[in-house]
Amino acid sequence: MAVLSKLVKWARIKSPWILHYNSGGCNACDIEVVAALTPRFDVERFGMLLKGSPRHADVLVVTGPVTRQTKNRLIRIYNQMPDPKFVLAVGTCTITGGVFRGGYGVLGGVDEAIPVDVFVPGCPPKPEAIIHGVVKLLEKLQKS
Amino acid sequence: MSIEKRTFKIPVGPQHPALKEFENFTFTVDGERVIDVDFRIGYTHRGIEKLAESKTYIQNLYLCERICGICSAAHQGCYAQTVEELAGITAPPRGTYIRTLIWELERIHSHLLWLGIAAHEIGFDTLFMLVWRDREVVMDLLEMISGNRVNYAMNTIGGVRRDISDELKHRILKGLDILEERTKYYKEICMNEQTILVRAANIGILTREQALKLNAVGPTARASGVDVDIRRDDPYGAYGEVPFDVIVYDTCDVLARILVRVDETLECVKMCRWVLENLPEGDIRTKFGRKIAENEVVGRVEAPRGELLYYIKSNGTDKPERLKVRTPTLANILPVCEMLKGGYIADIPIVLAGIDPCFACMDRALFIDESSEKKWVWSREQLRIYSIKWYKEHGHEVVRERWKQ
Amino acid sequence: MGEELKIENEIVEDFKKFLGENFIDGNVQRKGRVFIKVKTDAYKEAMRHALEKWNTYHLSTISGVDLGDTIELLYHLHDPANKITITVRTEIPKSNPEIGTVSNIFPSALVYEREVYDLLGVTFVGHPNLKRLLLPEDFPENVHPLRKEWKPEEVK
Repeated sequence: MAVLSKLVKWARIKSPWILHYNSGGCNACDIEVVAALTPRFDVERFGMLLKGSPRHADVLVVTGPVTRQTKNRLIRIYNQMPDPKFVLAVGTCTITGGVFRGGYGVLGGVDEAIPVDVFVPGCPPKPEAIIHGVVKLLEKLQKS
Repeated sequence: MSIEKRTFKIPVGPQHPALKEFENFTFTVDGERVIDVDFRIGYTHRGIEKLAESKTYIQNLYLCERICGICSAAHQGCYAQTVEELAGITAPPRGTYIRTLIWELERIHSHLLWLGIAAHEIGFDTLFMLVWRDREVVMDLLEMISGNRVNYAMNTIGGVRRDISDELKHRILKGLDILEERTKYYKEICMNEQTILVRAANIGILTREQALKLNAVGPTARASGVDVDIRRDDPYGAYGEVPFDVIVYDTCDVLARILVRVDETLECVKMCRWVLENLPEGDIRTKFGRKIAENEVVGRVEAPRGELLYYIKSNGTDKPERLKVRTPTLANILPVCEMLKGGYIADIPIVLAGIDPCFACMDRALFIDESSEKKWVWSREQLRIYSIKWYKEHGHEVVRERWKQ
Repeated sequence: MGEELKIENEIVEDFKKFLGENFIDGNVQRKGRVFIKVKTDAYKEAMRHALEKWNTYHLSTISGVDLGDTIELLYHLHDPANKITITVRTEIPKSNPEIGTVSNIFPSALVYEREVYDLLGVTFVGHPNLKRLLLPEDFPENVHPLRKEWKPEEVK
């Protein structure tokens, strides 16, 4: 747990700003991402703050299977983010398209559109799993 | 283990798609007032109806569940009961009761989730955090029963997949007591807090005539005095036996939409208690053969957002011929456009939230000012911040204006 | 049994009388579910009759089904007083998939007709704003995914 407390201390200094984007998912992952911010799970203790603009964000949290209508916006948002930037893909849909795989409407994985740093599998992943993904991402951030 | 990546050729139109982005809503405004609304949906169009034709009836249980993650049980339950009717089988009473229990617990989670989001839209983040903390009680109950917090997969064709032990029954009843007490507290807040009243009373009017004419559904319709609820009017599941009241308010505004949902949550608690205390003995599921003879069924369910309709056609195989889904949010799009017209730009976030939209909501909106010919695009967050600021500056004027009416 | 389905049977008889030779078939599937099949020329009259006689002001949605040579359209109406869902259905040829709009009678059809236009390629004549509802702008014209012959791999 010494590693975790080091990360917490580091995160408080760095305070990564997050942009949350739903690429056409069913909203299940989105509620669990938002739940991670609420008192019971409280991801804010890692210093993460939800921001509205790509130009200020360090981390892009993506959910959903990337529908055709959202693909261009997703790419544009990613391009608008300043370097260094990281992508956290939450939910099985972001990995393979989930149950929608094979449908004409979906791309089948966020990494078909933009590079991804951490995938958090689950349908949806519990807030604890999302936080675990966040910690993994912070480890990557620390190395950069 | 490697994930085999199959690429599907996705069709592209004749023009080269130079990274075009589209706004979900286009508001034609005059100064601070909304004159007209146009919408584009399709952000969450995943091609589910087509996909369902190539999956078996059992596989589609898991596809339909994920049409909407917030009302997943409504979708899966409606699908399951429609397929049961298609196949000519009936879930046993205990299975039907458990299915109904999940539906009502989901309604509690959905309405509380919504209340938190609505609070966030008007800048009342304390309430948002409180409600979402208390919502964890029902999330825990759903996890205890099904093994998952969301997408509970409790339904199967022929009934439900998991039973409820007496020990679990006891724990659910305790959880319901907490939820009831907390919801009553939230009702007090919603009826008395200035922050909410200023932003919700007399805002986003949808008259009863408009609600009927435009075929509004769910709490949106019931907040405009329309007394319809599929659980009572077209009974399914255990609703023919469970006693409950249909909540109707007639002030036709956002506040009514809030109160309908809060009162419905309290009603859900009562219904869950009744279902648990009257849970019949017996099997929880009945057998289902793989194939279904030619048939067609219209299934309707009262999801948390309103009428959910499934039209399913079978063709003698183990896959459906046609699966048609009409979600309640689609039915409320025209009503919400009516509600927005004539209102302030600052009212857009809460009025939109008022129908409890179930699409990857408003990401961006285009504004066109008729008089100044200015055009601009705002993200959802930008609009939310604008509306909170605007009400801080103009709230008292608005209230005075409303008192005059 | 007869008493239970009294109103449902009344509805079928009523449509039979009203439509005459334009009435193709009527079916009481169970309590609360009536299906009326009509000739395309008279389907709008049938819808208007449902509204005026049976007060079916609620149009739940319009389902479109590709039957091969024809496309079937099912208009799911709800009669709140008797609590019955009346589905008025008609078939149009796939070679010329056109039918008049009902949005002047049922405003909610403005949305549902766009959906059927988008995914099945049915033209609703007289619709004030018949444009795509769900498919992306860059999806090719005249490609309608819910048509049976369309498969995702085939295109491009």
